[in-house]
Amino acid sequence: MTGNEILDMLYGTLQTTGIFNFQWNVIIMWAVGSMFIYLAIAKKYEPLLLLPIGFGIFIVNFPLVPLMGFSHGHPQLLQVFYRYGLQWEVIPCIIFLGLGAMTDFGPLIANPKTLLIGAGAQLGVFITFTGTVLVGFTLKEAASVSIIGGADGPTTIYLTQHLAPQLLGPNALAAYSYMAMVPLIQPPIMRLMTNIKERKIRMRQLRPVSRQEKILFPLVTAGIIALLVPSVIPLMGMFMLGNLMKESGVVARLTDSAQGSLMNIVTIFLGISVGATMQADKFLSWKPLFIFGLGLVDFAVCTIGGIVTVKIMNLFLKEKINPLIGSAGVSAVPMAARVSQVQGLKYDKTNHLLMHAVGPNLAGVIGSAAAAGMFIAMFD
Amino acid sequence: MKKIMFLLFILLFFPPALNAKDFLGAPVIPDGTTIQKTDSRLELKTPLSHDEVVSFYREALKDFENIKFREWKDATYIEDDGKMPWHSITISKEGKDSTDIVIVKDNWTWIIGTLVLRYIGVFMVLMILFIGISVSGKIISRSVKRVEAKKTAD
Repeated sequence: MTGNEILDMLYGTLQTTGIFNFQWNVIIMWAVGSMFIYLAIAKKYEPLLLLPIGFGIFIVNFPLVPLMGFSHGHPQLLQVFYRYGLQWEVIPCIIFLGLGAMTDFGPLIANPKTLLIGAGAQLGVFITFTGTVLVGFTLKEAASVSIIGGADGPTTIYLTQHLAPQLLGPNALAAYSYMAMVPLIQPPIMRLMTNIKERKIRMRQLRPVSRQEKILFPLVTAGIIALLVPSVIPLMGMFMLGNLMKESGVVARLTDSAQGSLMNIVTIFLGISVGATMQADKFLSWKPLFIFGLGLVDFAVCTIGGIVTVKIMNLFLKEKINPLIGSAGVSAVPMAARVSQVQGLKYDKTNHLLMHAVGPNLAGVIGSAAAAGMFIAMFD
Repeated sequence: MKKIMFLLFILLFFPPALNAKDFLGAPVIPDGTTIQKTDSRLELKTPLSHDEVVSFYREALKDFENIKFREWKDATYIEDDGKMPWHSITISKEGKDSTDIVIVKDNWTWIIGTLVLRYIGVFMVLMILFIGISVSGKIISRSVKRVEAKKTAD
């Protein structure tokens, strides 16, 4: 064997490694992935999602890794997760099933007028849509970006996958990032939009809700949503099924699976699949950066929308609502409700707003799903 | 049938003929008579039937992304959700000997209008849910109280 032949063989072997196929832009993506892993571990920001998402971004941005492509016509590992989980819109619906099985709608049933706060908090979704179209996104892309302000991860993923799958990575990442940053983003807006007197408003203790009401709630809600916004019933139907399982009390094993192991399994697949969509050649453009910028504005306007809705409702109500619970009208369950509680306690140490804020918080989930349904109906 | 064949012949062998006649990038049917034309709207009448016109547009727009055909009761509505300068083509179903076609420019009135409507729509959905929950809640609370009162009496 000659020296040249050995060199050729060595060269051929090296060609199969990532080193010889290296591109500099992947370094940026490693940094992005590492940043999300850091936020998840060190800051504990939405670790259940940001950790697998961060790892997905990191691992998929190595050259030649057989993860998101096809080998001999067969999808590779993460491509399988992505295709059957996200492209088929299965994972967001299963997550909603688990969320439903975890959720107690009692506070919302006890004070159903807080549903309107959930609608008011969708203001940012519609305002952001306009801004996004203005800078050159298509209408479908604009709809998928604007839903970020609704602060509902599965809904954002569901709508984006439906209308603009090319934006799935940045949209999901922006949604979960801002949901994690609710305690940082919302308080200044809440202070800006309310005065001290309003922040001290005390609300009457919620009435107890009977088991029968709790069982009927998912059926009534699913029926109304199916009639009015049928396009979003895969999400809301599963949400209400999960809740019916919980409240019926007769399928404890199913409820445990839905809110426990099943939820955990799909969360892993969701995180890694979303991260894997963020390959350097697709992600490094002006659009993801813009989505992150506009997502923040969107989130802020949604918070304002919820607070302003409470203020308008107070004009007509005898028993006033504390506008601090208006900010919980964005979904981000239960973080946004906790923020209302913490802010309320700052101005009156005995004024506990948590249970009152849970109502608009859950209404926000239904509201953002309704907004998503409106967009789907607009384009389908 | 002959007319459809004629149109397909034009589309297949003389695509420049199609490009030569368009309004804001939207194909205009070759033998249409202009009824009204402004910068943002073109109204045409053609002797072709509704189905023939729809076939023409299905063929002409087959390579366009983000185009959607909606079947309404009185018209077929073709809408662009992408970045085309035109927004919609409405093909009337009501004409007997002719078909009306209206091409409308993409406009902010439509975008803002539909957004406002949909925002109100979200309110309406949650308002109806509010009514539904309130009514069902009251009925159940009442029946639960009645049952409890009966138990106490027994």
